[in-house]
Amino acid sequence: MTAAMHAELLKLRTTRLVAGMTGLAVALTALIGVLEAVTAGTGKGMAIPSLATAAGLRDNMASTGFALLIAALLGVVIASGEFRLKTATDTYLDQPDRGRVLTAKVMAAALAGAVLGIAASATATGITLGFAASRGYPLAIPDPAIARYAGGAVIGSALLAAAGAGAGSLIRHQTGAIIAVVAWGLVVELVVGATVTSLGRFLPYTAAAMMAGDTNGGGMPQIPRGVAALPYPAAIAVLAALAVAVAALAASTTVGRDVT
Amino acid sequence: MTVIEVRDLTKRFGSRTVLDGLSFALGVGTVTGFLGPNGAGKTTTLRVLLNLVRPTSGQAEIWGKPYRELGERRHRVGAVLEASGFHPGRTVADHLRVRCAAMGTGRSRIGAVLAETGMGELAGRRAGSLSLGERQRLGLAGALLGDPEVLILDEPANGLDPAGVLWLRGFLRGLGDEGRTVLVSSHILAEVAQFADRAIVIDRGRLASDSPVTELVKAARQAVTVRTPRAEALRVALTSEGATVRAIAPDRLEVTGLGTEQVATLAAALGIPIFEMTADADSLEQAFLRLTATEERPG
Repeated sequence: MTAAMHAELLKLRTTRLVAGMTGLAVALTALIGVLEAVTAGTGKGMAIPSLATAAGLRDNMASTGFALLIAALLGVVIASGEFRLKTATDTYLDQPDRGRVLTAKVMAAALAGAVLGIAASATATGITLGFAASRGYPLAIPDPAIARYAGGAVIGSALLAAAGAGAGSLIRHQTGAIIAVVAWGLVVELVVGATVTSLGRFLPYTAAAMMAGDTNGGGMPQIPRGVAALPYPAAIAVLAALAVAVAALAASTTVGRDVT
Repeated sequence: MTVIEVRDLTKRFGSRTVLDGLSFALGVGTVTGFLGPNGAGKTTTLRVLLNLVRPTSGQAEIWGKPYRELGERRHRVGAVLEASGFHPGRTVADHLRVRCAAMGTGRSRIGAVLAETGMGELAGRRAGSLSLGERQRLGLAGALLGDPEVLILDEPANGLDPAGVLWLRGFLRGLGDEGRTVLVSSHILAEVAQFADRAIVIDRGRLASDSPVTELVKAARQAVTVRTPRAEALRVALTSEGATVRAIAPDRLEVTGLGTEQVATLAAALGIPIFEMTADADSLEQAFLRLTATEERPG
């Protein structure tokens, strides 16, 4: 297991994938964070409440919404890239135990997702606190709450990346897997969450976004309205269970298939 | 001692049978060409041997075990199955570092395998910028990392320029001289004849021939082309001597089954003038086509 894990981490360190996806996540987080901070409290359109309020600070910190989705896509690309680039042949020659390779890949993706989450979370937190301070607002939420939202973005990114790696192993066609994950995050969860509100909190993207401070229907991308956030540990459990379930499904189906 | 053994191997992809009861065995220290036309089942056989494709039935073993159950795998078997199985953004050296990490072996041989494959100066280049020939060499470098006893290579000459083919020939022969067992797939018998001791020919998933390369070369038919103004008389005489004769022009015959000396002696005895006579060795490609019956295949 150590060799497989070492190899997967080395693969990530020797290409620009993680840096590129993290840069994209940071850029989108910064764009949304700054736009929200600038318009906060104006009451215009989708403007968030003033940064002088707890709700405003929390909403601005939740500008990591796209980063969470990008973390999931990072996981997809890490796993499905092996088939797109035909590197799976060498991977399975070096380590024929495909379950071991899958486990290592999911864990490596979680670590890469955490790195992406840390960068995005630091960006969102910096923008929020920076704008609030520049306007002379007192901090309307306690430090532990700030840490919880920031930590939620990191944990959410890590677990969504792990689930993404499972999805990328399940759907070997990279473009198909990316479309499936984006459609799930941007469309399916909104529709399902809006239709069956009690189910919405258990949906993975929604659960992760709410851990990162997203609230009822706010944030970009949007989450379903009328959904109450899961308790923090329960949200982590839901995301971890999803990652394990998708990986297990991949292990029992596509992972054992012929590599031709 | 048997190193590679394939027994009654069958593989079906849906309704298509790619391997159909294929069996063969390779002894230690032989360089074997694994031949067959495109679609004969060569790649599938190699992938079954290396645990990448699951057989429908039959066994494929290396050192008496399925590949995945081999101990010290990296030192026992090296393989190249994909000429382009590299991340384009990863450097040559990093690619080999990843392979070492995955095999759980140290990096001490990276420099040696790069030198051995002539890739030493390209260590810092990204794989995406390599030519096909350089990628083939990088694949070979990866396969040699564990200094394996057995090498399995799928069409390693594909895409190589003449200089690259020449280099590969010497490289493979050198591996054989070191006592390694090498199985190389190809669809060109003439190429394999340059470095292999043995040739296994398959066609439509079945064994067509398994023999030393020298026997295949010897078996290649000799044809004699004769130009004479009395072609019909000579044809009758040669046929009565057991030769196979084909008129290729009014004054030209193609004779098989008799050598030039026999044809000339017979013609002299009958007083038939010979204006021209040439002996043409049947090409190895034609021998290969006969073995695999490719000529009869439509399309």
